[in-house]
Amino acid sequence: MKDQVGGNHKRARFEAMCQSLRPDLLRFAFWLSRDRALAEDVVQETMLRAWKAQDSLLDEAAVKPWFLTIIRREYARSFERKRFATVDVDELVAEEEPMLAAAEEQNLAELRAALFKLPDEYREPLVLQVLMGFSTAEISREMGLSGAAVLTRLFRARKQLRVLCGEDTSLDPPE
Amino acid sequence: MIDCTRYRQSMLAQPRHADPAMSEHRESCRDCNLFTERLLRFESGLERALRVALPDAAGEVAPLRAKSPLRLTRFRTGWQAWAAGVLMAVVVAGGLWLGVPGSSLAADVVTHMQEEPQAWRRTDVPVPSAALQNVLRDSHLHLAAGGGIVSYANSCEFRGHKVPHLVIQTESGPVTVMVLVHEHARKPVQFDEQGYRGVIVPVAGHGSLAVLTRGPATDLGTIEQIAHRVQGSIVWTQEPS
Repeated sequence: MKDQVGGNHKRARFEAMCQSLRPDLLRFAFWLSRDRALAEDVVQETMLRAWKAQDSLLDEAAVKPWFLTIIRREYARSFERKRFATVDVDELVAEEEPMLAAAEEQNLAELRAALFKLPDEYREPLVLQVLMGFSTAEISREMGLSGAAVLTRLFRARKQLRVLCGEDTSLDPPE
Repeated sequence: MIDCTRYRQSMLAQPRHADPAMSEHRESCRDCNLFTERLLRFESGLERALRVALPDAAGEVAPLRAKSPLRLTRFRTGWQAWAAGVLMAVVVAGGLWLGVPGSSLAADVVTHMQEEPQAWRRTDVPVPSAALQNVLRDSHLHLAAGGGIVSYANSCEFRGHKVPHLVIQTESGPVTVMVLVHEHARKPVQFDEQGYRGVIVPVAGHGSLAVLTRGPATDLGTIEQIAHRVQGSIVWTQEPS
């Protein structure tokens, strides 16, 4: 009886945790993979793995990075399981158009298309910083990079995005 | 001493990073100030662009599940089936929530502004003191004298809570202040969206404060100064959480 109560409590806590984080996790997986179906797959697998491994979460305050680490691993595993064909970015944009452009202004859709074209190594730290609110130190830890490397990638990501979006870059600095 | 190149390189890497030396440079350099305003506008768009609206679970997730052979081989017996049940509940509940397009705190503040345009009146008539106290009481604060004329005070429904929505008359015109004790910002956020310009500043133990102006007349540096002044005039009547 006591075990059952404990189990219910554990389950309720896990559910609440997943519910509150799922939007961010899905968005992160989407921008990582640029594929809505794959993002859904990755997040669901992530939740299963998280459930199994929840005892390894020692600090509940660090739950978001914990989930993101599982997502990144799960995304990498999806490549091991299946060799993805190389696709044209414009085709990717067209495939995901409903999600990218849904009831939004034109410039947001353009910005999203530009994000699709950004190299993975630039897009990922940018998503971690802007969408997830990670600090440079947190991104360094998550991606296994030095702080300087993270800052360089963030700088290049925005610089390229601004060019892709046709922004006025006359005041932008050189590298 | 930061030069323009270093300032702009640093801003492109961390546009929301608050640093006194950077702020000092920005205030002294017209071009870097212009660069920052453009960059922050771009950043607001980027934040909104990344928050893609996610599909409704009922219509979208179920067909996707059949596509994945990996998932079909899982979810079989014992705790796995049970975990799948948990997962399903999360997917459905989460999906319903996700049907609503995501929005940042700044975007929600701006949307709220559009609901009360009458608040932006320029006037030197303060709201009655008793009315102001009523609005502030539930958030456990009052305003010290000298913080400026409060010309509008309303207790507004915002993200599921009643929050004080004030308009303070300043030298830069009417400035809106929303006291968001339930919204915990990790760091100051500047925004420039849909004709509103402002900042959201964290308040240790008391959530955050949104301070904004309407139109392009006031620069973000001035708004930040006003936000700090307002923050300084707040007297909290409850211990920080």
